[in-house]
Amino acid sequence: MRRWGVAVGAVAGTALLPLLASGWAGARAERALAARIAGTTAAYIALVTPAASGSADYDLPHLLVEAGALARLPGWTSRLEVYRGTAPLVRATAGSLSAATMAALRQQSGVLWWNGAALAPLQDKGARDVVGAVAVAGRPGGEVWRRGALGGIAVPALILAIVLAFGATHPAARRPVIRAHGAVALLVGVAAYANVRAVARDNTDHWLEQTRLLVQEATARLPTTDVTQLATTIRPVARAGGEGADLRPGGDSAAVRVRRVRFAGEPEAVVAIRVGWGRWLALRTLPGETTTGGWLWLCLALAGLSPAVAALLGWVERSRARPRRLRETLTAWGFLAPAAAHLAVFSFAPILFALYLSVHRWSLGESAKPFVGLENFGRVLRDPLVWISLRNTVLFTVQVPITMAIALGLALLLRRHSLITRIARTAFFLPYVASVVAIALVWQWMYHADFGALNWALSALGLAPVDWLGNPRTALAAVMVVSIWTQVGYQMVVFLAGLQGIPDAYLDAARVDGANAWRRFWRVTFPLLKPVTLFVLVTGIIGSFQVFTTVYVLTGGGPLHATDVLAYRIYQSAWGLSQFGSASALSLLLFAILFWVTWTQFKLLGKRVEYA
Amino acid sequence: MASVTLRQLTKTFDSTGHPALRDVSLTVPDGEFLVVLGPSGCGKTTALRCIAGLEEPTAGEILIGDRVVTHDAPAARDVAMVFQNYALYPHLTVRQNIAFALEMRRLPAREILRRVAEASDRLGLGELLERRPAQLSSGQRQRVALGRAIVREPQVFLFDEPLSNLDAKLRTEMRAELLKLHRQLRATMIYVTHDQVEAMTMGQRIAVLHEGRLRQLGTPGDVYERPADEFVARFIGSPGMNILLGVADSGRGKRTGGAVLRCGSLTVPIALAYEGELHLGVRPEHVTVCGLGEGVGDAEVRVVEPLGSETLVHLDAGGQPVVARVPGLFEVPDGQRIGLRVDAKRLHFFDASGARVA
Repeated sequence: MRRWGVAVGAVAGTALLPLLASGWAGARAERALAARIAGTTAAYIALVTPAASGSADYDLPHLLVEAGALARLPGWTSRLEVYRGTAPLVRATAGSLSAATMAALRQQSGVLWWNGAALAPLQDKGARDVVGAVAVAGRPGGEVWRRGALGGIAVPALILAIVLAFGATHPAARRPVIRAHGAVALLVGVAAYANVRAVARDNTDHWLEQTRLLVQEATARLPTTDVTQLATTIRPVARAGGEGADLRPGGDSAAVRVRRVRFAGEPEAVVAIRVGWGRWLALRTLPGETTTGGWLWLCLALAGLSPAVAALLGWVERSRARPRRLRETLTAWGFLAPAAAHLAVFSFAPILFALYLSVHRWSLGESAKPFVGLENFGRVLRDPLVWISLRNTVLFTVQVPITMAIALGLALLLRRHSLITRIARTAFFLPYVASVVAIALVWQWMYHADFGALNWALSALGLAPVDWLGNPRTALAAVMVVSIWTQVGYQMVVFLAGLQGIPDAYLDAARVDGANAWRRFWRVTFPLLKPVTLFVLVTGIIGSFQVFTTVYVLTGGGPLHATDVLAYRIYQSAWGLSQFGSASALSLLLFAILFWVTWTQFKLLGKRVEYA
Repeated sequence: MASVTLRQLTKTFDSTGHPALRDVSLTVPDGEFLVVLGPSGCGKTTALRCIAGLEEPTAGEILIGDRVVTHDAPAARDVAMVFQNYALYPHLTVRQNIAFALEMRRLPAREILRRVAEASDRLGLGELLERRPAQLSSGQRQRVALGRAIVREPQVFLFDEPLSNLDAKLRTEMRAELLKLHRQLRATMIYVTHDQVEAMTMGQRIAVLHEGRLRQLGTPGDVYERPADEFVARFIGSPGMNILLGVADSGRGKRTGGAVLRCGSLTVPIALAYEGELHLGVRPEHVTVCGLGEGVGDAEVRVVEPLGSETLVHLDAGGQPVVARVPGLFEVPDGQRIGLRVDAKRLHFFDASGARVA
């Protein structure tokens, strides 16, 4: 009974996790909002406060007035303090900044978190020195919960989840209860994420509205009425808010409230600011909710934890009745663990990451990595270079049957055991175990237009030299030859193993039946080699579609994209053009192609041969 | 149909240097069923593969009919072979397996169809024609392998232990079936086996091979009744012939022109004037038990094996093992001493090298 209590506690406790995560996300968002407003406000003050004469520092009386005005601005909801040096200006009784904080602010020139408030540096007119700070206090903790979180079902769902946890962890739990528990736990996860999203959305709106006040105030203080000039002058205030924030002329009364629109394919939150009769500015920023995708997965993962714990406890409970089986299962998992962990880390995780990347605009240089849906796929499919590289890859794959034919021929020649065949086998296998880069370098010399061995041989025969790797007509074939030379030894070894697996009796029977060597091969050996042939073909085509190193070292995809293959294009998209999203989309397309090709091959050739 | 003649056939494998066949000469007349019998490693399969053309002899000649085929390819010899593991092509159906050799000979399609139908009718393979070997039982595979051989209508059939993979009951059935086939086809058949029951029941003549040499060639009766040497004597029969090592003394038996052979605790009077070391061979069924001192000597019972219709009594005659086959059930405690009699007309004598003396 006590054990059951612990189990219920564990399951119910884990059911809380998504909400805790959601609260944590909310708190983070609040702090980010405070930091954002502090940055924007600092930029505003820097814009509207005139400098003291003969100095880049602000005129103190003006600064006092602006700070006070801002704190009492109608609609301004943020708790604000402006420091000049370390001294507070809005509420003179408030504590001063410590010298250390000031120094940190100077060094960092970013937003600090201090005493429950975001502290943004206030730079002088010339933006050379930090002369003060703007502090914006975070809102109280309750703000991290939104009543809108999925119609307020988070709490009932949570209560239900906890109640169901009792049922699901009970030793005699029935399947429907367990299922209901899982569903409700999932609902809690969705609700938790909905809250994260709502907070992010609200915060974006809040920043837009607060900044609108600042822009309006700034407009009132500026002499000009020209919209374009206004936008240009006030833009730094908006931009201080980061996250793609910008101020442009335009807009109308329809956009007085914050709206979500798409601009050039990207989502935007925009609000219109009236700066005079019929004159509008549009304040835009990246909607906070579009970058909460990661939280969705986290919330769902945490939500899944509770049913997982319940299932695990149930399993342990059931296995306890059969300890031998439990031990065996644990041992089995223990043996599987290293391989499973390796697969998870080096195969599944990268594939999932590629999936994620393929639907985002993702670049090393840019901080904004918005979700773009299938745009990357569209871009990849419209890119003529992708089609060229696909064509080249397919052409390159012609080397697979050629290699296989040579390898099978060699295997048949070298199947007898003798010293010579053993030496020959080793010689053919060597290129496969040698470094591809070294091989490529040797072949580069062989192919060299002026000093290459190949052209030397040609000139000895009285033929004109060919720039093998420099000529778009020969480059791909030249790379294919290198690939064949590298692969043939490996395939030969596989075929040799396959040949050894065919009992001699079949060939003896065929000889007695009157089949000559040619017919023995085509009627007996080759059909019996089918599984091996299929294996070599499938792995060969997969390898051929993934060829990269040879191309990279020999030709770098050139000349004129003549050897530009898919894997090289993926590499170029990612590291050359910094389009990781497109590169991932292309990788997934390559995966889809290979999957289809392999599946077709198995369908066409796949019936396994059984030896009688 | 044709006879098969081997002339001083010798085969040495490069890897061992040890000859697998030494000077084997024999003739299989047209239409005979010859069984080549020997323990494993005696060279019987090598001989068969030489006849088939799968191995090239190191020396000697092979004739099929009047034609010397020693160095001909298997295809040119017109022989069919049934392998121990049947060697049915796993990727082909039964029909394709049977038709394979005919296709290789580029027979017209109608002829192939007719012959496959005939062979499958003969062996009752009709329903199996579209199956693959993996879907057949071992008995069915055996039939398909036979079908593949008879469809060729070859001059000579070669069988390489074809029944060794079958269970006992099926083996008995197939033996009868093979003999029936031989009667119907009247073909020359050479059948290799290590199983003397198969040899005795099937062979018109038996060739016993040991260590690459032909030890004896004769009818089953010959081989059983007049083994050419000690090896054949021991190898044929179950259990094999008793061989007792002894010394013959003709001094006391001069009057009758015979001698007395002392072997272990037995003293056997023999109708053979011989002096010196002599091996006495006597089949278990020609040894009978009697009261102590009533026979040629006494022996101690070691093990009794009751088989129902008869009883095998393993005895120790002064350090030499003797087996007696006694009709019916015979109960005697282990360690008991009893007297032995031998059938004087059914004795075999071998000299010290194992060769038959008389």
